[in-house]
Amino acid sequence: MSEPVVGIGLAVVIVGLALTTFLTRTSFLLAGSRLRLNHRVEVALRYAPVCTLTAIIVPDILQHGGAAFDLSPLNPRLIGALAAGLWLCWSRNILGCLASGMIAYSLARVLL
Amino acid sequence: MTGSSERREAFRAGRRAILHSLPGAAAWGLISGVAMVKGGLSLPWAIMMSLSVYAGSAQLAALPLIAAGAPLWVIVATGLITNLRFVIYSAALRPYFANESTGRRAALGFFMTDFTFALFMRHAQHGILPERHRDAWFAGVCSNNWITWQVCAITGIVAASRVPTDWGLEFTGTLALLALVVPALNARPAIVGAAVAGVVALLAHDMPFRLGLFVAAIAGIAAATFTDSRLPREASDTGSRT
Repeated sequence: MSEPVVGIGLAVVIVGLALTTFLTRTSFLLAGSRLRLNHRVEVALRYAPVCTLTAIIVPDILQHGGAAFDLSPLNPRLIGALAAGLWLCWSRNILGCLASGMIAYSLARVLL
Repeated sequence: MTGSSERREAFRAGRRAILHSLPGAAAWGLISGVAMVKGGLSLPWAIMMSLSVYAGSAQLAALPLIAAGAPLWVIVATGLITNLRFVIYSAALRPYFANESTGRRAALGFFMTDFTFALFMRHAQHGILPERHRDAWFAGVCSNNWITWQVCAITGIVAASRVPTDWGLEFTGTLALLALVVPALNARPAIVGAAVAGVVALLAHDMPFRLGLFVAAIAGIAAATFTDSRLPREASDTGSRT
């Protein structure tokens, strides 16, 4: 394609990104003050965190090298995630989860 | 206790609640900062972007488009669609902050991220939020996250050439999110929803404008809600509290 976006164009992009981020984050918090959520929507929103976070992390975990996703047991990120997940099954200590996941991931990357 | 000391206590409790997860924010911020400079942004632009946008995934989605000279509307639209999930978060937070002033709701929204939102919801659903001053509690969570992310992002911007990018440090951020997902997989609707969201996220990974993430989230939420509606009433109510 063409030259990178610079100068005024870049300023427009940054302002645009800042605005759209602010508007999405504050959308329902600011608008619709009289809005009453019906029961179905309330139930749906209850599952928003777990579903959205899963949609974020699954592609992160399964990407390997250039491949979009690698389900093989030799994928270092998959090994790291499994170690972190196992840690969470017997302890709720988050630091331990991060450490065990990163150690397993790093070892797998160096050794495999 | 007076009202203001209660507020301060709620704020401090919020700061403590996120403390152990901050390595995730730190690593993710650092790598985002490095990526902005390696993606071709000069130092002042990168710092400005980090401070004004404060959305790692949208920034990283925009970078290759900026470098390739894509049309401005395409870059902004990509950022917007990457951020669509925040609309759902905003709706979920709304009932908890309905009585706050407009300015305070705007500020809480500005500082909300994937992690801080999910942490808030987990505390709310477990009934372990403070009874009063939830806004102060959330402000405590968000302030620690913001400071950590920004300090590390700007460190990454300034020291881009000296930060190792081949260690996969950013994976710490993924693990911090994983640490919120795993304990939430405690009932059938959540498990079904997460499974659907994960599979759709993989299948929809190549959709234009990073639409895949939002589509996957919606599909997961729909599957979880459907599964929830098929549970016997009491089981569903307990499911909401555990």
